[in-house]
Amino acid sequence: MRLHYAPGSAHSAAVRIMLAEKGLEAELHKLDLVRYEQHSPDYLAISPHGLVPMLEDGGRRLFESFHILEYLDERDPDPPLAGQDPRQRYAVRKWGKYVETHIAPHLAIARWAALQGKVPESAVAGLARLLPPRRDLWLRAENGFDREQLAFSTEALLTAGRRLAADLAGNEWLCGGSFTLGDVAVYPHAAQFATLGLSLPQPVGDWLARVAARPSVRGIAGDLFPVAVMGPEPGRWG
Amino acid sequence: MLEVYTWEPNANSGKPLFCLHEKGVPFVYHYIDMGAHEHHGPEFLAINPDGTVPAIVHDGFTMTESTPAMEYIDEAFDGPALRPDDPYRRWQMRVVLRFMDNVVAPSLAMIASNRLAAPRFAGQDPAELRAKLERIPLPERRAAWEKLMFQATPPQEIAESQRLVADAIGRFDGRLANDEWLAGDSFSLADIGVFATLYALPLSMDEEVNDEATPHLTRWLRACHARPGMRAALAMGKGFVTQRAAEVRERLGVAEA
Repeated sequence: MRLHYAPGSAHSAAVRIMLAEKGLEAELHKLDLVRYEQHSPDYLAISPHGLVPMLEDGGRRLFESFHILEYLDERDPDPPLAGQDPRQRYAVRKWGKYVETHIAPHLAIARWAALQGKVPESAVAGLARLLPPRRDLWLRAENGFDREQLAFSTEALLTAGRRLAADLAGNEWLCGGSFTLGDVAVYPHAAQFATLGLSLPQPVGDWLARVAARPSVRGIAGDLFPVAVMGPEPGRWG
Repeated sequence: MLEVYTWEPNANSGKPLFCLHEKGVPFVYHYIDMGAHEHHGPEFLAINPDGTVPAIVHDGFTMTESTPAMEYIDEAFDGPALRPDDPYRRWQMRVVLRFMDNVVAPSLAMIASNRLAAPRFAGQDPAELRAKLERIPLPERRAAWEKLMFQATPPQEIAESQRLVADAIGRFDGRLANDEWLAGDSFSLADIGVFATLYALPLSMDEEVNDEATPHLTRWLRACHARPGMRAALAMGKGFVTQRAAEVRERLGVAEA
């Protein structure tokens, strides 16, 4: 297996945590987001949207980090991390979807604003190589998000914090009594909230500390810093 | 006890109906009339405070995300398996569903609702429309309905949706040139998720989707429309969906299959 990943990418961190939890080794190809290596012609040739992470396994290319986590769990089932029964697995998949649609896109916008993101001159040519929806998202970022969008994204993230707290009520882990892919998928995103000045309810803070203490997470802790880059496209129609 | 609170056998609201009929699982169907905004009314909000359909309640366990709920249904009930065994094929199935949920279904919903629903709001009292908007719990859903009610969807967004749908039609046709079904050689949740939204394309986009332009997608649509489970789900509608599906079968020549 070969993993294309970038420090500072929460989605990449999730896949690296998963590999460590499973005791799996993958050859690592590190891309530098600050230098926009994800938009280089070489990388776009194998990952047309310029997204990280991407996993190559036996000549196949896999995208979409949460579904890479599920793939790794089904490819190497020991220890099983997708949940112990259908209800827990539903919760895991619900969070896998929620982080992608309701957290990651808004976190990218909040990060861009907080870190005063700016596309350097040297990276403008790379934007022109992107497919239309991603190019448009970057151009919106480059022009600066308006106050209304920033308020909407901030509110979405605070709502996410409340929903995390609701599911963590009485539970040690996000999807119930055992550590799962849900924790792996959500943690690297939720871990960025404090740096961006977004407060999280106490149960979420306690959960972040429990996840941070795992050896798999300690091993990649140096990758968990926020970078001003765009995430997934915000929802198209509500 | 399995209860499904949903609208027509269409898009997200149809996914559990197709799934349960394909598995042969009995359930209670509670029809939520979206035209009458029942999904934003107090009775439904007591079941799903987000005010989105479908909501599926199994022995007291409530699910409101339709794609994860389909995997739940496949795991929790007997009947034919609706997911491939191979991990790579399963990844493929999930990526197709994600692409539908994030890109194709919202794009088609934007196009269709602007064509069909927006004109109905044109002559209505703005104060009454505002009151309806106030009852929508999720801000992103409220924003979408506001654009619909006040005809405020920017034309370039509709054009981008049309481009994305055309692109998706090409991608699905390409995938189905190589495989019988969307996630390989067995019918799966990927087929259900895509069919629930695209079943009417041979009528609604007849110039783009037909035996000449998209032979593989059309072959697949014909195969889906011929399945007893898919037909039984489509027959559960109370209005235009069921009628429309019959017209599509006529067009595809599978009316008597």
